Amino acid sequence: MTSPDLLLMLLADARLPTAGHTQSAQLEPAVASGLAAADVPAFVSLRLATVTRVEAATAVVALHHLRHGLALDAVELAWAARTPSAAMRATSRTMGRALLRLASRLWPDHRGIASLRRGASRAVVLAAAADAAGLDAAALARLVGYDDVQTVGAAALKLLPLDPAKVAGWVLAALPAVDRLAADVAPLTTPGDIPAAGAPRIEAWAESHATTTRRLFSA
Amino acid sequence: MPDTPIHPSGRALRVGVCGPVGTGKSSLIALVCAQLAASLQIAVVTNDIYTDEDARFLRSAGVLDPERIRAVETGACPHTAIRDDITANLLAVEELEEDFAPLDLVLVESGGDNLTATFSPALVDTQIFLIDVAGGGDVARKGGPGITRADLLVVNKTDLAPHVGVDAEQMVADAGAVRDGRPVIALSRQDAASVAALTDWLLGQLAVHRAGTLVPADPGPMAAHFHADGTAHAHDGAHDDHVHA
Repeated sequence: MTSPDLLLMLLADARLPTAGHTQSAQLEPAVASGLAAADVPAFVSLRLATVTRVEAATAVVALHHLRHGLALDAVELAWAARTPSAAMRATSRTMGRALLRLASRLWPDHRGIASLRRGASRAVVLAAAADAAGLDAAALARLVGYDDVQTVGAAALKLLPLDPAKVAGWVLAALPAVDRLAADVAPLTTPGDIPAAGAPRIEAWAESHATTTRRLFSA
Repeated sequence: MPDTPIHPSGRALRVGVCGPVGTGKSSLIALVCAQLAASLQIAVVTNDIYTDEDARFLRSAGVLDPERIRAVETGACPHTAIRDDITANLLAVEELEEDFAPLDLVLVESGGDNLTATFSPALVDTQIFLIDVAGGGDVARKGGPGITRADLLVVNKTDLAPHVGVDAEQMVADAGAVRDGRPVIALSRQDAASVAALTDWLLGQLAVHRAGTLVPADPGPMAAHFHADGTAHAHDGAHDDHVHA
């Protein structure tokens, strides 16, 4: 029996082969439109309060549905309705496919993972992986929040000239907000509970990035 | 070609094309498409570093339906995307294979990188490494996993050799000397015989793939090297049973 701590570390590790290196969590278009290094912590906070909150809540509700044998269609619809950017929905589904590819290999006998189809959002695939790993809802929500903060931080090191220790400091400083986010969304069980916390500026950046011909990151 | 035997897995031959920036990867792919698109079903994945320049170049070359050319962004990690986390490329290859089934050939172009960047055998079945005469006559002697152990080494732009003061024949001979019998093609778009040698090699790889006997090999990360005791060997992972201090 593997401890939940180790399984959470496995899923949170950037070395997990899920194409994480292709993602900037919209930091690249933000920098292109003038966001400076000093603004990155605020960008992280904004994401945790909005788009990442939606993703974490969606994952938690999907985990509840998986563990109670409920269909996931309503969860996917609730997520899509709260993710108005078509580019962000497409990115989530691509990342979901990458994660599903891996999860199917790691847990080939898991029914929840086997039940997922192409087009599942990343939050829902992550919930299935969390179910297979035996993680609880709070751990899953922390995973979503932590991964988002680290994605921004890693992309910042590519896009802005920064001391990597400074970025690690930003990640450390954001962790209490990740804990609060996890505590808020962990009890949620129904699709209607998922907060509708959009961030029009981030969504507009995602849309413009999808059509630019110059980019390092996929999204 | 409905009567053509296909690979036991039923999928296309996946060919990697890698090599330093500016050696002619996109041009080689355009050349292959121009030569073979009438007889084979082909698709292309490009790994651009900062722009979709390569994908746009290939689309505008008019040698392939633009829908069959897809770009993968690598987050400034072209090496990662073809070796240690190949997920984004695999997804692009699989989507093309599904959208245009049945494909015969998928060409995966790496982002222009350094001499150590080669494809994982989990991503491609066989790979071509490119260098060119304009990059300097000494490049072949420098070696590296791509030059020494890629399935095919192409020394490109041989028609430019007189203009850049490089002895192309010597460069090809140098390459042959470090490759232990693996094939080398001196390529010029102006030289029909060299183009035919390239397409013949590809068709040969396709035949072996369809017969189910093509075993993908990793050229790197370690090239063959010498020990103080005079023995030489290559690291290929499968037989790597000794320890280096």
